[in-house]
Amino acid sequence: MSADRENHDMTQTDIALLLADAADGVEIGIAPVQAVIRGGRRRRARRWAVAAATTLVLAGSTGATLAFAGLPGGRADRGTPTAPGPASAEERHVYRPQRTELARGTEHGRQWRVWVEVWGAPRDAREADRQFAAMKRTGVRPAVDKAADLVGKTSYFSMRSYGDGRSLVVMFDTHQRTDRLTGTDLMAAAVSLEEVGPTAPERLVVGHVAKSAREVTCRWKDGRSTVARPAGSASAAQDATALIRPVAGYPGGNWFVCLAPEGTVYEDAHVTR
Amino acid sequence: MGDGKQTRNEEFQSFVVGRWPRLMRTAFLLTGEQHAAEDLVQSTLEQVYVAWRRVGGADDPEAYVRRVMINAHARRHRRRLREFLAPKDDSGLVREVADTGDRIAQADDRSALLEALARLPARQREAVVLRYWEDLTETQTAEAMGCSVGTVKSNAAKGIAKLRAIPGLADMVTHGGRK
Repeated sequence: MSADRENHDMTQTDIALLLADAADGVEIGIAPVQAVIRGGRRRRARRWAVAAATTLVLAGSTGATLAFAGLPGGRADRGTPTAPGPASAEERHVYRPQRTELARGTEHGRQWRVWVEVWGAPRDAREADRQFAAMKRTGVRPAVDKAADLVGKTSYFSMRSYGDGRSLVVMFDTHQRTDRLTGTDLMAAAVSLEEVGPTAPERLVVGHVAKSAREVTCRWKDGRSTVARPAGSASAAQDATALIRPVAGYPGGNWFVCLAPEGTVYEDAHVTR
Repeated sequence: MGDGKQTRNEEFQSFVVGRWPRLMRTAFLLTGEQHAAEDLVQSTLEQVYVAWRRVGGADDPEAYVRRVMINAHARRHRRRLREFLAPKDDSGLVREVADTGDRIAQADDRSALLEALARLPARQREAVVLRYWEDLTETQTAEAMGCSVGTVKSNAAKGIAKLRAIPGLADMVTHGGRK
């Protein structure tokens, strides 16, 4: 080996030492803990809204053609039916989701609806493939890259429809374990009631809160506010612009809906009781 | 909820304070630039905060943090922020490796190493930094990068080979610039 070659030869230990020395060149500074937490809270609050705005997932079915199997006050109160057991994929809602209608109303002669679909967890790749295809047929796309990633995971989609238009996915996620919200935890997204564009006025607020939450206050940009309270066993067929409901197959919390009066838009939402 | 949430917040704050220096160093090697490193670490920790309820109680929160950071780094790279990653002078052109004869100051040495790292493709840089700075096993590195052990081996080997091929960098070692 020539002297020149020797000079240019580095061991992996040398590389590690060079890296360690180079890493010392950074100014560490003080950890910006509060900025990180503020940023984290903003991310959490924005997570769903951003997902809705950037994906603008349009579902193939219209509100008028949906069948709502999971009615408030019924199976929804019994929690998730996806516990391990001998239940068939159909019984576990792997290929057809449980649907719970949250709210509906009429504006300018057109009916709007908000509902949540919960797809049971596939147990193997075959079930996952079929579920992926079934989701595709209904026009929704889960938060995974490929069908195999659905195995063992529950997916949910909250959606809204307006008139005969196509449905819009407001919030969605796919996860192995549903985080149970507690206390004043709240996750929400605001979307337009009738349009799908990212600049459309965000009047419709959909989100979820802890099972213990008795009141959610949605504040609007003009200073007004709307209070959502548990709807009890009232049917969603009854027009309501603000309420809290359990959702069939979703054990992580209850869901709420608030609709802003015309002319104003969403500011924020908090659990107030 | 109050107490549980308060405890989680305190745990998270301790985690951030404790891990910040190490994460900054890793991010600096990945990005090659102070502000980019701060930005990468801060956005990584913000994402960790969102998932802290799950992550904080996990056996190995570090593994989750590394995965988030590498994903964030890869995303930035995919967004073609390559110019953001490579140190530049005022002309906006990536600098040539400095003349080895003039290399005395340690800062210059560091700069040369960072330039050499910045020239590596992102996946090779990630593999080199995780294996030889973070001192992770190939399996841990594969988990952080979301790829197979074989891919880690291949990327690390290529990255190291390219670093070795840079004459100025090898001289840094042979001229006693490192302990």
